[in-house]
Amino acid sequence: MPNNISAGDTAWLLASAALVMLMTPALGFFYGGLVRRKNVLATIMHSFFILCLISVQWVLWGYTLAFGPDHGGIIGGLDWLALRGVGQDPGPYAPTVPHEAYMVFQMMFAVITPALITGAFAERKRFKAFVVFTLLWATFVYDPVAHWVWGGGWLGQLGALDFAGGTVVHITSGVSALVAALVLGRRVGYGRDALEPHDATMTVLGASLLWFGWFGFNAGSAITAGGLAANAFVVTNTAAAMAALTWMTVSWLHKGAPSVLGAAAGAVAGLVAITPASGYVDVSASILIGLGAGVFCYTAIQLTKRLKVDDALDVFGVHGVGGAWGALATGIFATVAINSGAKDGLAYGNPGQLGIQAIAVAASIIYSAVMTFVILKLIDVFVGLRVPESEEVLGLDASQHREAAYQI
Amino acid sequence: MEILAFVSFAVLVVAWLVAPSRGNVAVVSHAEERKAA
Repeated sequence: MPNNISAGDTAWLLASAALVMLMTPALGFFYGGLVRRKNVLATIMHSFFILCLISVQWVLWGYTLAFGPDHGGIIGGLDWLALRGVGQDPGPYAPTVPHEAYMVFQMMFAVITPALITGAFAERKRFKAFVVFTLLWATFVYDPVAHWVWGGGWLGQLGALDFAGGTVVHITSGVSALVAALVLGRRVGYGRDALEPHDATMTVLGASLLWFGWFGFNAGSAITAGGLAANAFVVTNTAAAMAALTWMTVSWLHKGAPSVLGAAAGAVAGLVAITPASGYVDVSASILIGLGAGVFCYTAIQLTKRLKVDDALDVFGVHGVGGAWGALATGIFATVAINSGAKDGLAYGNPGQLGIQAIAVAASIIYSAVMTFVILKLIDVFVGLRVPESEEVLGLDASQHREAAYQI
Repeated sequence: MEILAFVSFAVLVVAWLVAPSRGNVAVVSHAEERKAA
């Protein structure tokens, strides 16, 4: 077995894992800039803490639940608990890289997914509740859905295409974010005070680092260092750029100015939408996917605001809607000309693939919404979800962490 | 060894559950007040 290991594939996968790792602190900065200055440390801490927490959870039991030998298409077995048997030889998912390399690449996906949700409950969630929520959510939502799609589970067996995580990462986190925003309720002062971003430059820097890391996320998901990775790299960059241009244009027409934060959010929306499609579509399709991401995600955020849902940092609009659009677009634009191991989509004469994608989208939405609701309600009973109003007004940096971000 | 790994993580989780989550407000508020003054 070790003789099958490709130095090129292994080097690319390990480098990609490092790129995806960077995305989580980058998300911390993206979100950190969007909150008020009294909450910036707490917001960055959400991402940084999750990087630490899920790194340990994943090696102890997360990886085996997601990728362990299949049990009924639902969950992985406990054979690889604490990475027993996961070593330097290739595993069943990637014949040319060490199993450990594949495991650590997948770990970084497990890390960033719950971190995405934190934008919805920013500025009001008790730190202890956040810790418990993250551990339970990773175990009971992320790990099973990752198994369904990538670990030999029922959605993968059904033929659902998800190259790098449209359903597993973005729909689960985006929908859970919406549920969290509804369960926690609005921030103090919502609709009355200006809850403005305290540092737009930090957000643009975070978005840029996310974009950089996303090359590992999508092109790394090819697992091999070859043509498929190159295609994923190109369509990822194209969709991000197209969505940023579209979002900026739509916001310009809608609100009269080309928003810098809008361009940054648009780029992220494009990256989200191309994620499930990046190993199956060509560059023309990536332009259409980016265009759709800019329009659909922007519209979704306007609707959530009109409905007065305090999804503080627009996680549902960007990740839930962007992920669903990307998953469905995969069913439209996928072609075997790009990936001979996949299927054609609607545009290439196979409408059935769009139906399969719709089933995957619906299953991810329903499961993550129900489980997130149950987890949050349990935590509310036993721990308490929100900080008291006085602590919220003071800010989470002071009330939860006893620190201040700035001394100026 | 694996048992020890699980136990050490479990100890941390229990510590997070029992650790204080309130009571810092007054301290910081005073600091803020002094700074403002």
